[in-house]
Amino acid sequence: MTTAEAVSSPVAAAGAVRFLGDEGAYWRLRIKGAALVVVTLGIYRFWLATDVRRYLWSSTEIAGDTLEYNGLATELLIGFLFAIAILVPLYMVFALVALELDIVAVTPALIGFALLLLLGEYALYRARRYRLTRTVFRGLRFDQHGSPWRYALYALVCWGIVIVTLGLAYPWTQAFIERFKMRHTSYGDLQGRFEGRGLSLFWRGLPIWLLVVGVPLFAIGGMARLIDWTMLGNELAASQGDGDSMNTLIKNNPQLAEAIGIVIAAFSASVLVGVLLYPVFQAVKLRWWISGLRFGAVAVTSRLRIRQVYRVYLRLLLYLFLLSLLASIMGGMTVAVVLGIVGLAHNATLTQVTIGAMSLLLYVVFMIGSSTVYQVIVAAGLWRLGAQTAALSGEAALDGVRATGTASSALGEGLADALGVGSI
Amino acid sequence: MTLTADTPAAGTATSSGPAIYFDGTCSARNDVVVEAGAAGLRIFSANRRLLDEWLYGELRRQAAPDGVLRLGRHGETLLARLEIRDAALVSAIEDRAVTLDRGGAAERRLRRKVVILSLAAVVSLIFTAVIGVPVLATHLAPLVPIAFEQKLGNMVDGQIRATLDTKHLGAGFVCDAGANGAAGRAALDKLVGRLTAAAALPYPLRVDVVRRPDFNAFALPGGHIYAFQGLIDRAQTPDEVAGVLAHEIGHVAHRDGTRTVLQAAGLSFLFGMMLGDFVGGGGVVIAAKTVVRSSYSRRVEAAADVYSVGLMQKVGGDPRALATILARVTADKDEGIKILADHPDTKDRVIAIDAMAPAGASTPLLGAADWAALKQICAPSPGGAPTAPASATATPAASAAGPAYGKDPSGGTPAGSK
Repeated sequence: MTTAEAVSSPVAAAGAVRFLGDEGAYWRLRIKGAALVVVTLGIYRFWLATDVRRYLWSSTEIAGDTLEYNGLATELLIGFLFAIAILVPLYMVFALVALELDIVAVTPALIGFALLLLLGEYALYRARRYRLTRTVFRGLRFDQHGSPWRYALYALVCWGIVIVTLGLAYPWTQAFIERFKMRHTSYGDLQGRFEGRGLSLFWRGLPIWLLVVGVPLFAIGGMARLIDWTMLGNELAASQGDGDSMNTLIKNNPQLAEAIGIVIAAFSASVLVGVLLYPVFQAVKLRWWISGLRFGAVAVTSRLRIRQVYRVYLRLLLYLFLLSLLASIMGGMTVAVVLGIVGLAHNATLTQVTIGAMSLLLYVVFMIGSSTVYQVIVAAGLWRLGAQTAALSGEAALDGVRATGTASSALGEGLADALGVGSI
Repeated sequence: MTLTADTPAAGTATSSGPAIYFDGTCSARNDVVVEAGAAGLRIFSANRRLLDEWLYGELRRQAAPDGVLRLGRHGETLLARLEIRDAALVSAIEDRAVTLDRGGAAERRLRRKVVILSLAAVVSLIFTAVIGVPVLATHLAPLVPIAFEQKLGNMVDGQIRATLDTKHLGAGFVCDAGANGAAGRAALDKLVGRLTAAAALPYPLRVDVVRRPDFNAFALPGGHIYAFQGLIDRAQTPDEVAGVLAHEIGHVAHRDGTRTVLQAAGLSFLFGMMLGDFVGGGGVVIAAKTVVRSSYSRRVEAAADVYSVGLMQKVGGDPRALATILARVTADKDEGIKILADHPDTKDRVIAIDAMAPAGASTPLLGAADWAALKQICAPSPGGAPTAPASATATPAASAAGPAYGKDPSGGTPAGSK
């Protein structure tokens, strides 16, 4: 309770959404948390996650009042332990079934993988319920209903469709999933819904799709016509597939080498363009999602610009560069000093162990540092942008909402955490 | 709600100020006046009507932006909230309600406790990994049905062979074809027969010599032992081969295949699920697993050496032969980093074996003719032998590399290469 200036102008324009958080405070929270997470080999993450949510929620002001997160870290810890109790027997069953059926093979592994994906989506939906029921606004909590199994099934089918259509169906599956989520979301007795249309996301995303997927596909398709497939097939059948026969194959089919080269070039270009256009995708999707949110008569619109998202990512690059610089200078100096001291002992084993331990330490510090930079600059940055570019209409409906619902358990959070699919 | 006191009581002990009040049943925002009395807060509407009374003991601080004191009531299902920005009033309330943890000292104490308990948990889990898991695996391994271990062995057998058989020799990878192969096989079976007759094994053994130039041998779960051609080539007496085989038979007798699988599962649970779940934690987990697994492996190898000495004494062979061949083959090799090695230091092994085994003369376990046949087990036969490029592998390239499969939990434990 030190700085009061952030809220000294308590009433903003009607219908405004604001982000009041101080980035310096968030940096401190994240850096201290990251250090404690490393020291406790990960156990502190439940407390860090809770602190982060309390900060983000409290900093988000909607029509003059801030959100409140009232979940507890101990709830997340208990949820995680429950999830372990469920997952360990499950993993054991997988291992035993694979052994019993006497197949190292693909089928049980695939079924197990699909089951884990399903469980992952289930966990995500229940985790969302936990977070919503811990979100308080004006003395009332949010809530979520709907069967998590049904959601998980829908989500998996949707992913399947997206893969089969090479991403073209993504806008519609995404609209379907968001409709499902929001249809089962409520604020008190104010029913949520989602009005974003798949088609509008499709038109906005189509240029990205064409550049990242369409052009390389076209190149590969063109190449396929260059090759004499029947001859190639015969030769492939004759050869045994090791390195030597591959060489003769290329010698006999000069256009094959060319085709392979073009395919590789097309893929590399696709990856490069994909990375460069990722912020556009983020911006388009975030704006579409925010603009589709509805609670009763309350509608949200977003004025998020693509260049704002690019600025976020440029800042990320700058900070990552600074982090690498700092890590190499500090790391180099530390390593030199420690090795100098250890070298005095003239013990080869000790020196090797020290080098190993120091590289591990440097690796961990750099990884967790990058993750912290990403969380502050991109994750929280996009949250801030999303809030500040959003506006409400019909917000008068927020004044007469009645309370419903109760708090839910954190099992979903625990499962999501144990399966590695958790978000904020 | 009591409607009796219609006006805030006047007095020096009370302070009051503006606040925002949400009653928990409706989202309407109420501008109210809060009076901090002797026992609790009294909440008055703008027209001085008493709306609610909250005792100090039930006040709880809720997450809020800087500069706002957001209060809730403990033990209420409704989420009624009071938001106070008036600094003087905030201070007056914090003076009276200890549960509000002014300055956050109690929260900091709690966090410190969390960190200390977590550190204790980490230490305890590491101790469990280093000491508890191997003990548990040793006690559980005999309870696991033999059929399980044999199934496991069958599963890995094909993979292991495919990885070892880099020249794609197929059936010719195992040395037993042709006249030389058959004679060598007979000699090998005689040697293995003498050893197994003395050893009480939980399941039948299968020993194969394969065309690999390295000095190595390992046992798979389920009792399949692979001896490399490089071992036969470098052995100078039948007892040296027998000593190495007895070490591998020790792994079989101790059910080390099952134990390794159980240990790996225990380690994955402790380091994969309970600990290390953070960005960059993967590296920590891999490093910790490697160090701990190497320590298990060194203990298992030492136990197999003890077994080898005992078995060789039982069959009347030279119990020091294992030490002899180990010392000769690894005479001048770099031992690598000790805590990452999966076998004990060879010098220590040789000293330990020599200390256990009495020196003395013994008759070789195979006659001269049988020994000559065993030495030739991989030699190309004069006619009709598979056209394996045995000549290429006959000159063993010294393998300075460590054992190829010692770190694979299902790959058995090689005896010799260190």
